[in-house]
Amino acid sequence: MTDHVLKVEDLSVSFPQSGGRARILHNVDFALERGTVLGIVGESGSGKSTAALAVLGLLDNGGSIDSGRVVIDGEDLYAKSAEERRQLRGGKISIVFQDPFTTLNPAIRVGRQIAEPLVMHRGMTEAEARAETLRLLKEVGIPDPERMAASYPHQLSGGMKQRALIASALACDPDVLILDEPTTALDVTIEAQILDLLDSLRITRSLSMLFISHNLGVVSRICDEICVLYAGRVVEYGKSASILTEPRHPYTKGLLASLPKMSRERHRLQPIPGRLPDVRKPLSGCVFAPRCHFAEPRCQTTPPAITPIGEDVAAACWRASELARTPWRIESSETIPRRVDAGDGKPIVVARDVERTFEAGGAMDGISFSLDGWVPRVSFGRKVVRAVDKVSLTIHEGEIVGLVGESGSGKTTLGRCLIDLISPTSGEVAIDGAQLLNASRSEKRDLLKRAQIIFQNPDSSLNPRKSIGETLERPLELVGLGREERQRRVAELLDLVRLDASYAERYPHQMSGGEKQRVGIARALSTNPRFIVCDEAVSALDVSVQASILNLLLDLREQFKLAYLFITHDLSVVSYIADRICVMRNGTIVEVGSTEAIIDRPQHPYTKALLAAVPKVPELRANLDR
Amino acid sequence: MAGYVLKRLLSIALTMAVMSVLIFWITQVMPGNVAYMILGDFASPQDVATLEAKLGLNDPAYVQYLRWATGLLQGDLGRSLVMDRPIAPVLWDAVGKSAILAGISIGLVALLGISLGVYAGVRHGRISDHIVSVATYINIAIPEFLWAIVIVMLFAGYLNWFPATGYSDLSSGFASWARHLILPVFTLVTGLIAHISRLTRSSMIDTMQTQYVRAARARGLPEKLVIRRHALPNALLPTITILAIDVGIMMGGIVVVETIFSYPGLGRLLMFAIQNMDVPLLQACMMVITFVYAAANLIADLLYAFLNPKVRYGRSSSE
Repeated sequence: MTDHVLKVEDLSVSFPQSGGRARILHNVDFALERGTVLGIVGESGSGKSTAALAVLGLLDNGGSIDSGRVVIDGEDLYAKSAEERRQLRGGKISIVFQDPFTTLNPAIRVGRQIAEPLVMHRGMTEAEARAETLRLLKEVGIPDPERMAASYPHQLSGGMKQRALIASALACDPDVLILDEPTTALDVTIEAQILDLLDSLRITRSLSMLFISHNLGVVSRICDEICVLYAGRVVEYGKSASILTEPRHPYTKGLLASLPKMSRERHRLQPIPGRLPDVRKPLSGCVFAPRCHFAEPRCQTTPPAITPIGEDVAAACWRASELARTPWRIESSETIPRRVDAGDGKPIVVARDVERTFEAGGAMDGISFSLDGWVPRVSFGRKVVRAVDKVSLTIHEGEIVGLVGESGSGKTTLGRCLIDLISPTSGEVAIDGAQLLNASRSEKRDLLKRAQIIFQNPDSSLNPRKSIGETLERPLELVGLGREERQRRVAELLDLVRLDASYAERYPHQMSGGEKQRVGIARALSTNPRFIVCDEAVSALDVSVQASILNLLLDLREQFKLAYLFITHDLSVVSYIADRICVMRNGTIVEVGSTEAIIDRPQHPYTKALLAAVPKVPELRANLDR
Repeated sequence: MAGYVLKRLLSIALTMAVMSVLIFWITQVMPGNVAYMILGDFASPQDVATLEAKLGLNDPAYVQYLRWATGLLQGDLGRSLVMDRPIAPVLWDAVGKSAILAGISIGLVALLGISLGVYAGVRHGRISDHIVSVATYINIAIPEFLWAIVIVMLFAGYLNWFPATGYSDLSSGFASWARHLILPVFTLVTGLIAHISRLTRSSMIDTMQTQYVRAARARGLPEKLVIRRHALPNALLPTITILAIDVGIMMGGIVVVETIFSYPGLGRLLMFAIQNMDVPLLQACMMVITFVYAAANLIADLLYAFLNPKVRYGRSSSE
């Protein structure tokens, strides 16, 4: 018999919502074998974080268990009193949350926060806890534990903070360690380091981990088993290697087909159409049927139970065994060519020696005092940060230039400098051959019509009080179009981004994230631009939605010969969409080259490190067979 | 930290300098001739001219300002025109009495306002939260002069529990001293307690939703410790800033309350100076009020820095 340290049986969880309760988890079953890693995979709204909190006994905001059990080491968690559950938290079960930047209390020294479980559960004195904390910090690879323990969170980098939080979670030698998207907020090179750390910890401590993630690459790297959640239900469950190379459930197939991969050839991505079902509406039949193109009549009426298929996988799909080797969609063998003739095209944007500096702080921050013995010294002058340091860049007509870099590399500042959203401190930017920076107001306005931007977060870049129609009409009004013409153009724009004309009447809160981002694209297209800055334009979106937006951006490029500066931290995405890639670090471009050259033959050590750090998803068996 | 304190002190000195110019200028442009005020409306032009010369009223404004400002820096507050004696002893006596009133009041505002706010914030959405909320709304809506009149009529007039006016020195017994303070303090604090508790409540609710509070719970800390160690110090940051602003509001309240209760403090002295056109006295009173406000903000800034390591240690990050 296998030794299950954690068993979740028939678990249903609901939360209060206006007009009743919404069920977030539906009869979820999974089990974690001692010393292994189980991945809980799903997109936003799948209920994976709720599952984590339920296992921790920490459902807040009115969440409650409607049915089922959570069994840890043979003991039913919810048969215990709230006080007994509290004593298990941080001891037998512990968690590492997603965002190390908000998970540490800014007002308390890091060492003291990490030591809390030691004092609480292992009954140590403050002094004993301090010694043990230093040992733990050393174990998670912190070079100078004393200094770290004495620091406040804002003095440390994200990676260091996450290491400290892992140390804290390990403090009481937990039976189950939950990791809720532990690397999602971190840069890719830091992510690789944290995954290495978790890998070595699981061996040295024989840890049992519940690993929650939306990133299939990360999951494939660390998990033994995977549980795929869709709309609060387990749709596929089994051995990681088997699921990722031979997905049985159509949703898993779709998820993998949506993933842009780092490869030289570029095929059209195959996104999952439609959107998550509304949790408030009752549902008959399979929860995925409305988005599934394998669906049959019985799928609409009777929900399939999760049943074993073969030795190591179970899936909740009527057609799972017959579809075992069928891909999500037949991939067209046609590739989307990359533009390698960039040199011949007409340059649209030419930036020369663009530099942008920022001064830190407010008026009084220009004055600093220091004590020289007992003599106060006054010095003037602010700290200057060079965000973009003499960067030159040319983007040609119809060309997609990818700009990759980690946080703080200056990629966003550079993107904004090119369209004068941030004025460069020095340097030149020309659009369509005309100088932008010292142009007169009217000239500048004319030039900026040809250069637009799509922002990362569609939620905060659309005015929630304006209908989509009003949002799209605004730029048209500025260029002086009449009312009827504007409305005609809005319908045209919505059509371009594959949204129905009725969306003009809607408000942002009535739309999904992907739809909102389409509106963002439509707004950028409204002035017939030649060049668009896409600033992390797909980073906030789920994989299946991201795929359809990437397809749309490629189509629009073909249709209008648009040029993009595609800014992202995601190397898979950039290697999929870009013709040429610039790698940016500390305000300068360290390497430029065709996508093929950058992926296959990176020259700069930083590019090499970045590429090596990307967690990769194994190739589908169906593709290898061909 | 030393640098931070020095910077704050420097900005207070600047504030005081700017304020002194403004105060001097405003009091100079007030209507009425000071010499006539002193000598009476039927003084002979000759007497007026002599007095003006003696007081230096014919000098250019900046000379007058510099004379006044140098005096201030040397601790010389000047002479009251109406009382015809040095301002300093009169002023410090009034300041001392007002300090008792305001000190007790601001202490109560901080203590009760924060306690009520934390209590309601932690019980967000429950009955006890709603009761506190309704009570505070009512208190915010009622202006202090109305409170003053109602409680004077009730407790001093009808019930006759407390004296309606005046001040009793501590030397004549603690009970009498306290009885004279209760009504004015009550009037001053009700609205501000409500104000502070509303603010603390909402900031407490926000803080209880943060990821680090959730993380503290995930470490198995009991709820009391989560609130005391993790939530409270962060939730108090906005409250501290607002408390300093409330000191300013209280300065205004003191003028009203001291007038209604005939309490011999700074507020009443200020009213006396205005009514009698006693320009030097008025200037001195206003400088004291400005200084108290600036000092309150300094204390708030230091407290803020004490609770917020980002301010204390600067934003230097090893990233």
